[in-house]
Amino acid sequence: MNERKRLSNTFSFSFLLLLSVVFLFPLYLVVINSFKSKFNIISEPFDFPNENTFVGLENYINGINSSGIVGAFIRTAIITIGSVLAIVVFTSMTAWYITRVKSKVNKIIYYLFLFSMIVPFQMVMFTMTDVCYRLGLNSVLGIIPVYLGFGSGLSVFMFSGFVKSLPREIEEAAMIDGCSPIKTFFYVVFPILKPTAITVAILNAMWIWNDFLLPYLLLGSADKTLSVAIQLTMQGAYGAIDWGGFMSMLVLAIIPIVIFYLLCQKYIIKGVIDGAVKG
Amino acid sequence: MASITLNNIKKTYEDGVTVIENLNLEIKDKEFIILVGPSGCGKSTTLRMIAGLEEISDGELKIGDKIVNNVSPKDRDIAMVFQSYALYPHMSVYKNMAFGLKNRKVPKEEIDKKVMAAAKMLDIESYLNRKPRALSGGQRQRVALGRAMVREPSVFLLDEPLSNLDAKLRTEMRSRISMLHKQLGTTFVYVTHDQTEAMTMGDRIVVMKDGVVQQFDTPQMLYNHPKNMFVAGFIGSPQMNFIDCMVKRKGENYFLSFGNYEIVLPNRMNDYLVMYDNKEVVFGVRPEDLSIVKGKDEVNSFDLYVDIAEMTGADYYLYGTFNDKKIIANVPSNNNIKSDKKYKFKIDIDRIHIFDKINERLICD
Repeated sequence: MNERKRLSNTFSFSFLLLLSVVFLFPLYLVVINSFKSKFNIISEPFDFPNENTFVGLENYINGINSSGIVGAFIRTAIITIGSVLAIVVFTSMTAWYITRVKSKVNKIIYYLFLFSMIVPFQMVMFTMTDVCYRLGLNSVLGIIPVYLGFGSGLSVFMFSGFVKSLPREIEEAAMIDGCSPIKTFFYVVFPILKPTAITVAILNAMWIWNDFLLPYLLLGSADKTLSVAIQLTMQGAYGAIDWGGFMSMLVLAIIPIVIFYLLCQKYIIKGVIDGAVKG
Repeated sequence: MASITLNNIKKTYEDGVTVIENLNLEIKDKEFIILVGPSGCGKSTTLRMIAGLEEISDGELKIGDKIVNNVSPKDRDIAMVFQSYALYPHMSVYKNMAFGLKNRKVPKEEIDKKVMAAAKMLDIESYLNRKPRALSGGQRQRVALGRAMVREPSVFLLDEPLSNLDAKLRTEMRSRISMLHKQLGTTFVYVTHDQTEAMTMGDRIVVMKDGVVQQFDTPQMLYNHPKNMFVAGFIGSPQMNFIDCMVKRKGENYFLSFGNYEIVLPNRMNDYLVMYDNKEVVFGVRPEDLSIVKGKDEVNSFDLYVDIAEMTGADYYLYGTFNDKKIIANVPSNNNIKSDKKYKFKIDIDRIHIFDKINERLICD
């Protein structure tokens, strides 16, 4: 039995190791190539930088000096932070309400949220872009409600699942302790939802930070976000691409979201409601 | 003044199911009232209606002199202890207890004083900085009690607060809650399905079945003078024995005839049994009102084959079958009793209860 368990563990470990290599290898290529000259990137893409190919931070300096990267960084941060905050606050409240208040309308709303998850973006992008232009949502702040709309399906689904597992008595105890529904939500329910809120925040932050198509359609080249800026500014005349600058900017674009993930993941505590109710 | 009055209270859910029908209760100020009954009898719903967590479909609910049907839970001056404790998991014990006071804008020093006093009373002073998940079941239960206490409410509502504790802790907490009631001098309404808890703690007990109050009386009255077969069977452990029998009259005396046996009834019952002459009734006798006798010609006795004899320490529980009905007798353990043996049992006729077989109501006892 122990032998079988050991074999199974070894197999799992090997499989996960292989999977990690597959996932991390492109990232490794981006990082090593960001320190090589643009000609060497094309000729020896898989080689580690050596004394001939290593260019130090030159690619990074060139990239940052290229027009608009810093501005794009700030815009992307505003859009990501704003959208993630809006998604977390509004969808958690929505999920709490439609889970706790049983009615046919709420059931329909819940299924509409689920339905929105399975509609591909490409199917609605032209009509939606047109509507957004008409409503004046083609700006850095205007895109936030659009992201709220796109992000709410999965987020409501995730929050609803967690709210369903919450004992109602905790909220009733808060009501008796003198809380209004709003106060009950912010002082009692939301703190308990924290692990789900962080998961929702991580998922949405990664998607919004890295999104290309929506900001490209709505903001275009006027208010470039990071992914749009990297794509557009690193592309020189006649299709020539500054691969060094491109790689270095990719590294810079990845760093904030990786830091965000590492900071948040420690708050995803399993069993946060342990002890609230009978054990 | 925190009396509670329930006038013709009715609870019907949206799907049309009525769980409480015409409930009338008068709970006096500072009384310890127990709502007891089997699962689904409406006891928790009644408590939740008093708390304001459940809407009242019809009728009038008063706390003190004020009608509170449409008053929100926070304005009813009540505190509730839930079966599942319902502590706030993200707050420390101190914050759990202080939360209600903070919401009511009580000054910080006063909150501190009240929390510390309650913690001392409940012996949880050393856990004030811990989160609920770091506490045992009994400690969590005490925190839940403390959270209710610090508010100094007019009415304490407790919904099966001991049902998740082990037997030893339950006994300990039972006396602690009774003590608390004495110290606080507040009205307590306590829901349980455990009749031992009900009998040991309550000033008066409401026995409920299918949303209807069966009897509302003191523990002694419920035990000695149950109004119907449900109350007689529900209150008391082991439960009362019920034997089908026929009322017969010989001259001035009434008898109960069952199988080959007859028992002579006391004359005080005569007036009640006039209408039941030659009719079937049920008589009930508590296990402790049966005693083993040796003599062959003992009156008011019957033979019972004891299938199982359980020694509980001071007593024996003897299980047998008479006319297809299970019979339990509770006799002192100084009797030398063996199972799979026939014994003669004498019935204490001063302690028997006679019920109508059709409506199951008490005829006389």
